[in-house]
Amino acid sequence: MSDQAGSIYNLGYQRYTGPRLGRRYAIRVLALHRLRACFGVGRPLSSKIFPIALAIIVMLPAVVQLGIGTFGNADAKVIRPENYYRYVGVVLALFCAAIAPELVSRDQRSGTLTLYFSRALKRADYALANFFALTVSLLVLTVGPQAILFAGNGLVVSNPASYLQDEWKQVPEILASSLLLSVMFAGIGLSVASFTPRRAYSTVSVLAVFILGSALGPILLSVSDQGIVRYALMISPFHVISGFSLWIFGASPEGNGVLAKADIPGGVYALEALVVGSVSLGVFVRRCLRIAT
Amino acid sequence: MRSDGPIDGSALVTASGLTKRYPKVTALDSLTVTIAPGIIGLVGPNGAGKSTFIKILLGLLSPTSGTATLLGFDATRQDVDLRQYVGYMPEHDCLPLEISATEFIVHMAQISGLPHAAARERAAETLRQVGLFEERYRQMREYSTGMKQRVKLAQALVHDPRLMLLDEPTVGLDPGGRDEMLDLVQRVGREFGISIIMSSHLLGEIERVCDHLMQIESGKLVRYEAISALTDVTQVLTVEVEGDVSPLVERLRNAGFTVQQDDRRVHVQLDDDRVYDVIRDTVAEMGMGLVRLQQQRRRLEEIFGERAVV
Repeated sequence: MSDQAGSIYNLGYQRYTGPRLGRRYAIRVLALHRLRACFGVGRPLSSKIFPIALAIIVMLPAVVQLGIGTFGNADAKVIRPENYYRYVGVVLALFCAAIAPELVSRDQRSGTLTLYFSRALKRADYALANFFALTVSLLVLTVGPQAILFAGNGLVVSNPASYLQDEWKQVPEILASSLLLSVMFAGIGLSVASFTPRRAYSTVSVLAVFILGSALGPILLSVSDQGIVRYALMISPFHVISGFSLWIFGASPEGNGVLAKADIPGGVYALEALVVGSVSLGVFVRRCLRIAT
Repeated sequence: MRSDGPIDGSALVTASGLTKRYPKVTALDSLTVTIAPGIIGLVGPNGAGKSTFIKILLGLLSPTSGTATLLGFDATRQDVDLRQYVGYMPEHDCLPLEISATEFIVHMAQISGLPHAAARERAAETLRQVGLFEERYRQMREYSTGMKQRVKLAQALVHDPRLMLLDEPTVGLDPGGRDEMLDLVQRVGREFGISIIMSSHLLGEIERVCDHLMQIESGKLVRYEAISALTDVTQVLTVEVEGDVSPLVERLRNAGFTVQQDDRRVHVQLDDDRVYDVIRDTVAEMGMGLVRLQQQRRRLEEIFGERAVV
């Protein structure tokens, strides 16, 4: 590394004769750059506060359960894995609303997008690198607390070995539900955010999609919980994540809750998450192909 | 992964029948040109197709028909490979102001395919070349317009391209900044040996920096010529002397030459070489101080006329 600060010698121009690593390398660099940006790594403190605060809040329910398990009744499962995303869904939506604009609106506003598109990348690569980064960040925020919960519950019981034997099935369940949630939320966040170069509007738009959907779903359901109308609950992202979580963990919705009233098969929610994730990724890629630069 | 250079051909850019049609306008209309390495000025009125041409060369737009190759790469089918060897400086703002120039240039170098260590080394080197070495760790929001413009040039240069496409590189700069930018562009082209295609609406800039001129209008090629050929010497000889010029004018007129007097300068139509003898003799006889004796060059502005290009 040449760091000749204050050098007064004009060394002339040196040609670069080293390797040019091409597209795959460029995608990897961008994806990693975006992943760091999600948590404000290498950015000033002000960029770190929000993502870190949300990450801590997301972990809180798991920590509370650990406290109960440690100091109270080890068998009391107040916070259960199948309900976890119901508690923290809003926080995860906030994370999307804050970070997705940071990833894709900022580049449009500053004009930097043109510079990416005129380098060793295709436009779709740019979209995929951002999608990857936000999905992985959301995985950290979902698998993280579930892992704390799982490990914590195992440590406080009298016989950890038998706990592991009985409960190992939770591991694939945790991974599957986290992945579904992350893909779906990242897709919604990025596709919505990519249409607005202004970050503030972009954040509001993403939040609006989450909040409006989640408010309207139950309202429509209250009109009628019979026949096809009850499927209206599927427009609520927060109920969708609760729905597929319960299904994946093999639990059923509580007695008189909204999910029980709608009585939609759990697999439908899972399928919906997958479809919403893929379709919104498609919208996002398409948007990237069309943005005028 | 490839470490070899692009396929080397004698032509920098070849376009053949390049056409770009939009529903309502034809931005490029079967443009055919072969551009040799060098510094090429791209001129034409707004909407002439300059930007469309540059974007097709970068593989950012695909042509409706026709083909373009740069450095031996097909602009449409090998766009990613090609862009590793091309630098692009857009006309509009394109800098993320919240980070430092160093951080930004390193990142851009990597996205162009340079390994991290090389990217850091070349970022420092490039920022030194554009005169931002001292300020390179400062957030770009603190930079002046001129400094930002130099960062824009640096990001197009950092990966040592074979060709740089500069879209109006002096836009928004004051006369001092404009001079510095043009000097830099010229240095990159002449000393660093990187070919440049630079669009500008100021013919003076093109004349000063470029060796070739490419003019497009309504998506069609009007001319592609060496600037030296365009600005060839004219058949007018300008004489400037100390003191009164009227005796000289009189002598020249008597000898049958067409003379025009312009304050203390005399312009003589250079029909025949005897004119030099007459001037020499007159100046010697009258004891005048000869300040200047020069054959005039044409200027691009004269060739194009004021409104032809802008």
